[in-house]
Amino acid sequence: MEELLKEVVLSEHRKQQIDSFIQTVTKLIQTVPKTPKVEVNDMSWLSGAVKVPFLLLPKTTKGKFCMAPPASVDLIGSYALGTCIKPHIRVDMAVTLPAEVLQPKDFLNQRYPRKRALYLAGLAQHLQSSSEVVTLRFSCLHGNRLRPILLLTPSGKDSSSFTVGVHACLPPGYFKPSRFHPKRNNIRTEWYTGLKTSNPESSEPPTPHYNNSILGDLLPRSHLQFLSAVSSKCSAFADGVALLKVWLHQRQLDQGAGCFNGFLASMLLAYLLISHRISSTMTAYQLLRNSLNFIASTDLTVSGISLAKNPDPTAPSLADFHDAFQVVFVDPSGHLNMCADVTACTYKQLQHEASVSMHFWDDPSVDGFHCLLMTPKPMIRTSDHVFQLCDLVKLQSSCKKQNLLCELMDHSGDYIHTALPFILSLLQRGLGQRIHLLAHSLTPSPVWSVESEAPKYKTQPPLSFGLLLNPEISAAVLERGPPADSSKVPEFRQLWGPRSELRRFQDGAITEAVLWEGKSMYQKRLVPKQIITHLLQLHADIPESSVRFVGALVDDVVKMGREVPSTGEEESLVVVQSYDDLSRKLWKLEGLPLSITAVQGAHPALRYTQVFPPEPLVLDHSFFDRDKISRSLVPKDVKPCPQYITPITVICHMEGSGKWPHDRLAIRHIRAAFHISLAELLKKDHNYTCRPCPTHLDVWKNGLAFRIQVAYHREPQVLRERVTAEGLLVVRDNEEAQALEMATIHKPLLTSMLHGLQQQHPCFGAVCRLAKRWLAAQLFSDEITEDAADLLVASLFLQPAPFTAPGSPQVGFLRFLHLLSSFDWRNNPLVVNLNNQLTAADYTEIKNDFMASRDSLPVMFLATPKDKKLSLWTRRAPSIQMLQRVMMVAAESLKVLECQLMDGSQMQDVRVVMRPPLEAYDVLIHLNPNQVPLLGQAVDPPAVTFNRGVVPNGAPQSGGPLPVIDYNPVTLYLMELREAFGDLALFFCDPYGGTVISVLWKPKTFVSAPFKTSQITARTVEVMGEEVKTIPNFGAILEDFRVLGKGLVKSVEAKTEKWAF
Amino acid sequence: MAASGKKHVRNTACVIPGGFTVLSLQFSPDSPAQHSVFVKEHKVRAERSSGRPLDRTLFVLNVPPYCSREVVRELFSIFGNVSSVELRDHPGSSEGSEPKLSRFFRPAEKQGFKVGYIVFEKSASVAAAKSHPRHVPLVVSTDQRPVKTGVQKWIQQYSQSFIPPDKLQQSVDAFMQDYDKRKEEEEERQRNEAEKQKDDEEGWVKVTRGHKGTKARPHSEAANHRALQREMRKKRRKELMNFYTWQHRNTQKEHIAELRKKFEEDKQRIALMRAQRKFRPY
Repeated sequence: MEELLKEVVLSEHRKQQIDSFIQTVTKLIQTVPKTPKVEVNDMSWLSGAVKVPFLLLPKTTKGKFCMAPPASVDLIGSYALGTCIKPHIRVDMAVTLPAEVLQPKDFLNQRYPRKRALYLAGLAQHLQSSSEVVTLRFSCLHGNRLRPILLLTPSGKDSSSFTVGVHACLPPGYFKPSRFHPKRNNIRTEWYTGLKTSNPESSEPPTPHYNNSILGDLLPRSHLQFLSAVSSKCSAFADGVALLKVWLHQRQLDQGAGCFNGFLASMLLAYLLISHRISSTMTAYQLLRNSLNFIASTDLTVSGISLAKNPDPTAPSLADFHDAFQVVFVDPSGHLNMCADVTACTYKQLQHEASVSMHFWDDPSVDGFHCLLMTPKPMIRTSDHVFQLCDLVKLQSSCKKQNLLCELMDHSGDYIHTALPFILSLLQRGLGQRIHLLAHSLTPSPVWSVESEAPKYKTQPPLSFGLLLNPEISAAVLERGPPADSSKVPEFRQLWGPRSELRRFQDGAITEAVLWEGKSMYQKRLVPKQIITHLLQLHADIPESSVRFVGALVDDVVKMGREVPSTGEEESLVVVQSYDDLSRKLWKLEGLPLSITAVQGAHPALRYTQVFPPEPLVLDHSFFDRDKISRSLVPKDVKPCPQYITPITVICHMEGSGKWPHDRLAIRHIRAAFHISLAELLKKDHNYTCRPCPTHLDVWKNGLAFRIQVAYHREPQVLRERVTAEGLLVVRDNEEAQALEMATIHKPLLTSMLHGLQQQHPCFGAVCRLAKRWLAAQLFSDEITEDAADLLVASLFLQPAPFTAPGSPQVGFLRFLHLLSSFDWRNNPLVVNLNNQLTAADYTEIKNDFMASRDSLPVMFLATPKDKKLSLWTRRAPSIQMLQRVMMVAAESLKVLECQLMDGSQMQDVRVVMRPPLEAYDVLIHLNPNQVPLLGQAVDPPAVTFNRGVVPNGAPQSGGPLPVIDYNPVTLYLMELREAFGDLALFFCDPYGGTVISVLWKPKTFVSAPFKTSQITARTVEVMGEEVKTIPNFGAILEDFRVLGKGLVKSVEAKTEKWAF
Repeated sequence: MAASGKKHVRNTACVIPGGFTVLSLQFSPDSPAQHSVFVKEHKVRAERSSGRPLDRTLFVLNVPPYCSREVVRELFSIFGNVSSVELRDHPGSSEGSEPKLSRFFRPAEKQGFKVGYIVFEKSASVAAAKSHPRHVPLVVSTDQRPVKTGVQKWIQQYSQSFIPPDKLQQSVDAFMQDYDKRKEEEEERQRNEAEKQKDDEEGWVKVTRGHKGTKARPHSEAANHRALQREMRKKRRKELMNFYTWQHRNTQKEHIAELRKKFEEDKQRIALMRAQRKFRPY
């Protein structure tokens, strides 16, 4: 904590720099020359170089104006308080308007705001002409166009280090604060609309936001005094505010219109101190904790809080504030609502963040500090679905449609912020139970140079809305309304318009209901999109074209299914059901010498995480050759490679018995015998086509292929035992035993655990599929295995802090990329707490073991409840170089993807992140597409398709000849290449339809080595006198690439410019 | 490749220091590139196995993956009749300890570059191979005897992977019978051993040295370890610690040194952590 504070507070050197700059600026400002009085509308006294930072809407107003030196110039805000933090250092200065500029009635009809803008323009003109070289820009305070500010940036080498914001404000007490009661009107309709109305003042609509903005200018100095008084009482105040600010900044809540800024944060702390909820002796850490706790537990939208101790009778009551504003937090004077611009949704988001933070703060399994203050939470990675309103001009018409003229007048024409609360409440009502939280982006304050006009509202960046879904309900296609005879029917009908209809349900009830489209999970996930576009169209006149929904753009890459687009949930379900059926049948088999003790799935398809789950197929038998003896189909070499049929691994544990031999070879034979007898029984009882092999049994069932492996639980132990020459029985771990244990024990266990996780989080499988698709496309699928990738994704769901568990595939995928790229693999183990089996003590134990033997452990360390010390799944790969590359590519992909998703103007092609850069490789082997069986799964689907011997739309049946199972030329080729040239080069390929194999020479390949009989693979010799050196025979190797892959390889492209032989 | 250029002209065998002769080998007659295969007569003193007679065996290095045993036999038959070919992943002595397995149960062979031991019928063939010039390459696949690679080979592999269940069952049965027989023999022998150690009618026990690995009590590493630890514990109980002054002083010194080392390590680790853990929030 202290270290963090050290990072964010300003250094002494910087402070001196700022102080000296401020002194010069102050001197300059105080020498502003006087000008004669002119009408406010007359701006001819300004030279053309400086424009007035104000949108003049309506054009004219009455009043006189002149320039004069300010009454005073002071520092206000965070810098004066010492709570300023890096990196965006903003020093605020208040320039008090001199009395001669003002007139008593200036609060009416935007006269004062305009004068303020003019005064700032005058200052800008003066500063521009003066000798001090500074960059001048205008901005406005928290996006409020009524309150422009002048930004000064020192030019030179430290130009970006800080900015000085010059606020123009009123002399204290110039206006009576009671003028600005939230129920009073200060903008006359007649003036605003230009139409003659005969309303008396009392019936004019109140203008609370306008009042509030002027009031804000009256009080900055008193606020500063108040805060400095508070902070002098509490020693840790400044640090506490700084921490709170960092916390807010990481959650993107501290900037833009309607933000919960640092000023509010310090006021909140002051409130807590005054109301004795925190004591003045607490540390910064405790301050942060208590304030988060307070935010999480207090709802300012219902019960506002006030800092005013003994409010004067003219001040409005809290109820008055609640009527006018959504969030209420009243300042010490009792007149100003400091949270006037904060929408209820923003506050709800703040509350949500605070409660999430409190939740994981105490969790010993989470690095609380890191999650709390170090992890940024951009909206695209936080919210499950995000959509954007692009054409903000459309909001003007929605204001019109909803009769929001009075509010528009109150906001002085800012139609975005006028319409926003209305749209938010509309969506909240429409989405109802489907979402936990609706968040929206805070429009950043525009910044423009003094030479240009103030930008229009429509030039603002699009408004983004984030949805946090409730996974159980969010995908429901039916919205059930009140019964037909209920009094709530009109309300429901009004909300949904023509989509609402009377329906009769199976339970006999007749109710109003809305039915959305969606057959597959992929379509159902987009139901919120349908709701949003429908509601916005109906009530706010916003056409579908200006709503940009980025909830499921990435899902495209794993899309399958022809008629109904889906992302594999349904297909996986079919596989799992078929497997359940098979396992039931296996259990019921009679006549086996030993009984079956367990049937376990050990394949990603059985835990919903296979990238492209196998689909039941019907085969065209004429496409294949027949094997005469076994009645099986065999591929023909003149035809394209047949459809790849994935064998789905099923482990079948047999009862232990004294009859099992205690010898490795004998066990292997007995297993083969079991395969044969299982095959016979399955054939006899259920007419499944089977193929028994020594290692497994292939079963062809309803268009799916299952690969059953019989396992004996003591076999790994037997493999480890060895009798030495002296007759000593030694137990030695070996690779064979490890591999067997992995296949028969760890994989089934992992599969069942992850299957359980999928039941809890419906989109777990989809995130895994996306993540693995990305890994495969970037040619990393051999480095991070499927199981490791699934575990990585599982950790996102089990330990989402500081987020909540992903509710859509896309956000899960983005977080997966973030995890890969930002996790400190060198110094931390990633603990995946499956089934919540690990306790806090286990965590420390894992961490300690990890620290103690870091160097001997895999570079990517994944700990699970069953595997605390070894990280089984990443033992073989990735290597340190590959992990570094994975991290780099992940970071880059994440950047590109987030940019694309959040910025509608960029090229919209999410597949960019799935296309690997091929320039880095030394040799590219291009494959013949017709021999690549999974071509259809490629990232960019090919234009041509080949007949692969599959009958479309057939009903799959069991029996018949055994199809071609597990025949993929690409994998066979890769295996041969790796076996032959694994010492010299690395081979990469996208297993899902990749048509390029990339080859990278190992660096040591090029080193010529002395002649050794054991290291002569694919090398040739050079004789230099008595010395013999060997060098790789590159020509022959390239020739071998062609020879080994005859029929599959189209061309071998050697990029010899990078290496020469 | 410079060396090969020189040898071209002379039309003699290319012998490199170390005694190997370099032969070139190419896949098909029109292949643009050639592999270098290194041959030498097989000369290992320690080896007495019958499979590799010293005078007639040619030792071949760097045999490409597409050359199966049959192909190698064909290739080298130009030097004389070949009686046997053995291909292995690494050079080394031949082994045959494992019981004979049927072909279904043999582990899959690695398909990489191999070393070969070619036994000719005549020893003159070895010399002929050794004097073969480098610029006349051996050709693996010709029109007369094409070698299947790539898709054709994989399809062939796939169709060969079918095993008729009855044959598989037969081989399993055969192995298990053999296994049972071996086991029975083993048991028989152990029974005999045990019988021998029983005392005869007069109460005498005949103590023999016996076979290796036939102790009456089977012992394992774990049991040995346990026994050893028991001994250690016993010893430690007996030993007097810190009895003499020098002993005491030494232990203290060691203790302090250890603490110091630990402290240093901790300090380093914290420094490392501080360096690695970045506290800059954004």
